[in-house]
Amino acid sequence: MRLARPRLRMRPRTRDRELRLLTVVALAMGAGWVSLSSTRSGGLSIGDPVPVVCWLLAMLGVHVAFVISGRDLDQVLLPVVGILGGISLLFMERLPQGLVVQRFGDRTLMLGDLQLLWLLLGLGLLGITAISVRSVRWLREYRYTWAALGIGLLAAVFLLGDEVNGARLSVHIGPFSGQPSELLKVILVVFLAAYLADNRPMLARSSMRVGIIRLPPLAYLLPMLAMWGVALALVIIQKDLGAALLLFSVFLALLYIATRRGSYVVVGLVLFVVGAAVLYGVLGHVRARVDIWLDPWADPLGAGYQVIRALYAFGRGGILGTGLGAGLPTVDGVAAIPLIHTDFVFAAVGEELGLLGALAVGTCYLILAERGLRIAARAPDDFQALLAAGLTLVVVLQAALIMAANLRLVPLTGVTLPLISYGGSSILTNALVVGLLLALSDRTAVRGVPAPTARIARSAVA
Amino acid sequence: MNSAPGIGSGLLRVGLVVCIAYALIFAGAGWLQVVEAGPLSADPRNPLQLVAARAPRGRILDVRGVVVADNARAVDGVRHRRYAHPAMAPITGYVSTIFGTAGLERTYDRQLTGVARLGAGGDLLRKFRSRASDPADLHLSVDVRLQELAARLLGDQRGAVVAIEPSSGRILALVSTPGYDPQQLADPATAAAYLATLGDDSGAPLLDRATQGRYVPGSVFKLVTGTAGLESGAIRSDTTFADQPVESRRGFRLEGFRIQDAPRSVQLDQPLDLTEALEVSSNVWFAHAGLATGAGALLEVASRFGIGSAIAFDLPTASSQLNGGDGPLHGFADRVELANASYGQAEVLTTPLQMALVTTAIANGGVLVRPTLVDRIVSRDGDESRTSPTRIGRVMSATHAATLRDAMVQAVQGRYAADYAGGARVPGVRTAGKSGTAQLAPGQAPHSWFVGFAPADAPRIAVVVIVENAGSGSSRAVPLGGRLMNAWLKRFAPDSAP
Repeated sequence: MRLARPRLRMRPRTRDRELRLLTVVALAMGAGWVSLSSTRSGGLSIGDPVPVVCWLLAMLGVHVAFVISGRDLDQVLLPVVGILGGISLLFMERLPQGLVVQRFGDRTLMLGDLQLLWLLLGLGLLGITAISVRSVRWLREYRYTWAALGIGLLAAVFLLGDEVNGARLSVHIGPFSGQPSELLKVILVVFLAAYLADNRPMLARSSMRVGIIRLPPLAYLLPMLAMWGVALALVIIQKDLGAALLLFSVFLALLYIATRRGSYVVVGLVLFVVGAAVLYGVLGHVRARVDIWLDPWADPLGAGYQVIRALYAFGRGGILGTGLGAGLPTVDGVAAIPLIHTDFVFAAVGEELGLLGALAVGTCYLILAERGLRIAARAPDDFQALLAAGLTLVVVLQAALIMAANLRLVPLTGVTLPLISYGGSSILTNALVVGLLLALSDRTAVRGVPAPTARIARSAVA
Repeated sequence: MNSAPGIGSGLLRVGLVVCIAYALIFAGAGWLQVVEAGPLSADPRNPLQLVAARAPRGRILDVRGVVVADNARAVDGVRHRRYAHPAMAPITGYVSTIFGTAGLERTYDRQLTGVARLGAGGDLLRKFRSRASDPADLHLSVDVRLQELAARLLGDQRGAVVAIEPSSGRILALVSTPGYDPQQLADPATAAAYLATLGDDSGAPLLDRATQGRYVPGSVFKLVTGTAGLESGAIRSDTTFADQPVESRRGFRLEGFRIQDAPRSVQLDQPLDLTEALEVSSNVWFAHAGLATGAGALLEVASRFGIGSAIAFDLPTASSQLNGGDGPLHGFADRVELANASYGQAEVLTTPLQMALVTTAIANGGVLVRPTLVDRIVSRDGDESRTSPTRIGRVMSATHAATLRDAMVQAVQGRYAADYAGGARVPGVRTAGKSGTAQLAPGQAPHSWFVGFAPADAPRIAVVVIVENAGSGSSRAVPLGGRLMNAWLKRFAPDSAP
């Protein structure tokens, strides 16, 4: 990895807006923590505020580091991460701690502590990425390396992975386990951005007609489609529908941004519908997911249990919610909704923070979308623009996918709610994404990479 | 260098699509958390209901505050319901962790558990109170003393009693025998075995006869026929039928069928008018009256009382009927069936509660009110909701109601009352009533009926009594009804004057 060497051009730059927003985050987290502790103890209480204080101090630390670094980074993204991570922390502290238990030597860490650990590591990764990445040229230059790495990751999962909840997602190496498909999403976005930036003019030019649809030259489409097909096939083998759906959406969006050709989107959607229909017919677990979505009440104590329990949770929340700590996370010692700390954390938010809380969380992702797309629009070159847009969409569309699934608007595909769901891979990956977005937002430092026009010219001739 | 279009507009459009997707998600959340919140929370499979089921429920109290249902002390985290007055079972029903709920315990489950107001916006201030649920107490209009007296008077015979305050529709007693002990169903230790014995009982103790028992009404149904005749204009209070005196002795031959009056101790040779026909319960007179009224008018007026559909009530009700519904003559097979139905035989089936509504309407000067069991619902936080009397509508003119009332007074206090409803007379109080002897299949003793109210001019209680297979009305149901009205007016009523 060739990070541009940090030139010690430390000219601190105050970040008033970020500080103001972080103050709001701190107040919100403080109120949330007092609310949770008071509900638990039955009287006004601040409980044991160490986790929230840790999180807030870490935010302040990253803020100070940004100030000292002197970089002109976006000032909204960090507070958005602060509020989403803070909500995550409140809920992981609040949910039954026994949902996740890990032993490190003679220390046993449970859900809340583990999530705090991941959040702090993620925040560190975010800060380091934002400050130290001054050029993304290397990302572009090694695009085929990334592609190979991505396929390698998938192969590793396929060979070494354990099947959990019907999907082969995680890899255990020694005491560590991770879900490579989280990282795969980022790697694929980098590859797609690089490839589309290289070949944008050619892709946009129509030189092949198939009926009324105009396609770019096959030679330019094939490598990408091949890469896409391999990735998709592996994802399907892994049974990770969520990642497949997400990557396909991001792919279509980036293709559209790069070429602005609606016909590609139409073709893509047709491919999607055909693929979905075939998968529905061929793969039992896809059919099961869709059938549950269509009628969860057909088997309320079996297949539909999780989805129905989530609907109940939203209903219990109403407009204002039950209040933190006052919902029903467990009934008779069993989690009210299976996977409430990962796939269904949005239902927990809907129950305890109500419709207002759910809308607030959604709005945070929308703000993230606005910032990310703005960074893309201001980017000095196509690659950085596509990269910023792709990174933004990975987070925002994944959030939309799982929120909609929680609300039974779409079938459930197991993806996490970015920056809120429990899980190291998910937290670290999304922190990395936001870190990259922050780095890309600094127009004073990230130099535009001249597009390799020579190559394009050569290819065009060939 | 770019021959491709700029990236900005593509970003804008993708951003727009993202916004639309989020707008749909927000709308979906709004739908679930506002519109669907109430129904979802009320779903019995919602864990909320399971949790609420374990919290102390609200109590059920009678009109004087006597506790009818409350909570036993929790044993090992399991808390069951306690019922001190088994005679109240037809009203309260039961809560069983094994068999679910019945009666008011079921109807008012959401209020008793206190999850009623946990809907979407619901009670916003609740968020600032300590408890999520707010169990409410039910204060009934029923008086346990009257209820237990009625149950005791019915004894081990099968039957039902409905007592009602005519002006308001407040139920004072609602009894069904044989009864059951809800306590034994509520207690998980005894529930299964007890339910098995109840199931083996041929008397069907779990059936609430007062609201769901469908009985041949016999002569008490003449009140409906009389109302229909008067309201349709087919008869007047002084209408007589010339052939009736002869037919009362020898039978009224109609298309080969012979309609007979019950044997009387005295012969009446003058043609009877409405009052006299009701007083001596002439089947022949009412057969003529029904034929003169016609099937359509009879059905129409009967439906004003609610006959033909389930009565809107806090407990499940069965609907009453005039005929089997498949005949060519508005559901009657022929004029013979219509004539027989006119004095409460043929295919006529009514519930005691339905007859209570008929009686109440006459007592009320023609106005029908909705029957109610619950006076007030008082939440533990002190919120109170009161039931106010609901007027369903006018069933008959005040004049017609007065005509029928006077005839009923005559049946209790007239010359021949001893053979009919005289046994129901409350000493010192002008009493109105009508006996009924519902003929069943040959070999079966008839059902014994009484309907009545007192005081006749300003009714404070209306009573319906049926005792299955107990013989003539005057022998069993009439004195029982009299004792209940007497007990209410002289002892139990809030302003009773002994």
